[in-house]
Amino acid sequence: MTPRASTKVRRRLPIYRLVLRSQVTRARLAALVALGVVGVAVGAALGRADRPAEALSDGTVVAGHLLAGARFVNTFGLSLLVPVTALVFAAASLGDPDEEGTLVYLWLRPVRRSRIVLAAAAASYTVAWPVVVVPLALAAAATRGGAHLVVATVASATLALVAYTGLFCALGLVTRRSLVWGLLCVFVWEGFVATAADSAGRLAVRTYSRSVLGDLASVPLSGPEVSAPLRWVVPVAVAVVALVFATWRLRRRDIA
Amino acid sequence: MSAMIEVDAVSKWFGELVAVSDVSFSLGAGVTALLGPNGAGKSTVLRMLCGLTPPSKGTVRVLGGDPRRDLDVTRRIGLVPQQEALFEGRSALQFVHLAAVLAGVPDPEAAARSALALVELRADDGRPLSAYSKGMRQRVKVAQALVADPDVVVLDEPLNGLDPRQRLHLISLFQRIGDDGRCVVVSSHVLDEVERFGSRVLVMAQGRLAAEGDYHAIRDLMDDRPHRIRIRSDDPRALASGLLGADGVVGVRLEDLDGTVVETLDAAVLRRTLAVVARDRAVRLHEVTPLDDDLESVFRYLVERP
Repeated sequence: MTPRASTKVRRRLPIYRLVLRSQVTRARLAALVALGVVGVAVGAALGRADRPAEALSDGTVVAGHLLAGARFVNTFGLSLLVPVTALVFAAASLGDPDEEGTLVYLWLRPVRRSRIVLAAAAASYTVAWPVVVVPLALAAAATRGGAHLVVATVASATLALVAYTGLFCALGLVTRRSLVWGLLCVFVWEGFVATAADSAGRLAVRTYSRSVLGDLASVPLSGPEVSAPLRWVVPVAVAVVALVFATWRLRRRDIA
Repeated sequence: MSAMIEVDAVSKWFGELVAVSDVSFSLGAGVTALLGPNGAGKSTVLRMLCGLTPPSKGTVRVLGGDPRRDLDVTRRIGLVPQQEALFEGRSALQFVHLAAVLAGVPDPEAAARSALALVELRADDGRPLSAYSKGMRQRVKVAQALVADPDVVVLDEPLNGLDPRQRLHLISLFQRIGDDGRCVVVSSHVLDEVERFGSRVLVMAQGRLAAEGDYHAIRDLMDDRPHRIRIRSDDPRALASGLLGADGVVGVRLEDLDGTVVETLDAAVLRRTLAVVARDRAVRLHEVTPLDDDLESVFRYLVERP
């Protein structure tokens, strides 16, 4: 590593560690881990019941446990656990220091704003990933949907978490009521408005993560059709655009 | 004096609220005190000097650059912000060390220890900052501002919460830094505190620069204003007629049942005259109260004087 690169890493890591430490609070972890445990318990309950194979409207026949498991991961994991966990951690990553008045100690240093944003987003992702993906993978396994479902769950949740982390990291810098706006985004926009029409659905992160889940698990799930490259590219692009916006916002805004 | 800070026709408004109005000044090396009552716009000016908020109008240049955009300028500014919040779970050494690392100081550990020693805090105190007293937290803030050896040091009410000994220590520290060729800007709303800095003073009131210059010149200017004194007595009419035309009295009016408000240019002369008039007219004095000796009224006078 060149000395210049080493200096960059040296300056980025403390911010990453700082955000990481500030995010891991007992209350947050307890609430989200409890939600994950509920998911595993429901997954296990789904797996215990006998489920015959189902013939879908397009003629496809899908194993009962796989179908129930994929629907459960989609509804509980991709629609609730992933976005809410991302919201709790990512919105707080820069929103909390901004609200408390400690952001000034990061801002008033010769550190590029993009590095502050990236470090904060990376810290949020680091905390959120095990809180989200481990219980979801366990829940998918517990449904007895098979190894493909577990892989699809891990991949789709990981991808969705990238997009939501970027979005909510930016949201934390836009409004002090990021939790409220984030929940409205998750439940009203993604959960309600985006399900009304395919065109609106394409503006929801859930559409792409659901598509990845369905594709990898080979289960058709209801929602707009998304082509193979788009379902992988769009969530990452959403995160990149959101983080660029967050950097711009951090550069332009007043610091308390 | 070569200017390290140049503020040119700067205004700042937040919505309809004008926080700073058409302020211009330039500062070189040494300590400059920014004096003004709460809400005068001092903190907004200091925040603009550090680039934390842009001016709505006018320009701020620090060390020849834009403090909001130029990271090389940011590197050379140290700020003690007014807000209390710190990274609470960290120790003083960790907090100052972080500031040193982010500032790109070559040996951050040594720099952090040295900065803490400057403010008389122990680097090996492992307690989290949340366990520190207000005065200790204030000193930690000063240490993080100085850790990168900045050329411009901006201190927003840095003596708040300090005991008298620590106040003296920090004042002498700031003076040493100023004597060393750095530009030190300290805000305060306490006149006597500013006197101790013994330096150039900028007086702000109602978002405007009301006066600037040497501390003693500002003090004389403040003392030149008319003083209003309320006197309560058992015979205000007799007292008022006795005071009219007396030495040092420029105006008299009756107030309530027992009050007389006197305007004077020299409070010491009035004290002597008042005693004589009261004795000669057999008036019993109940209370003598200066009405506008608070700092707010002093600043108001400076703003409103022609």
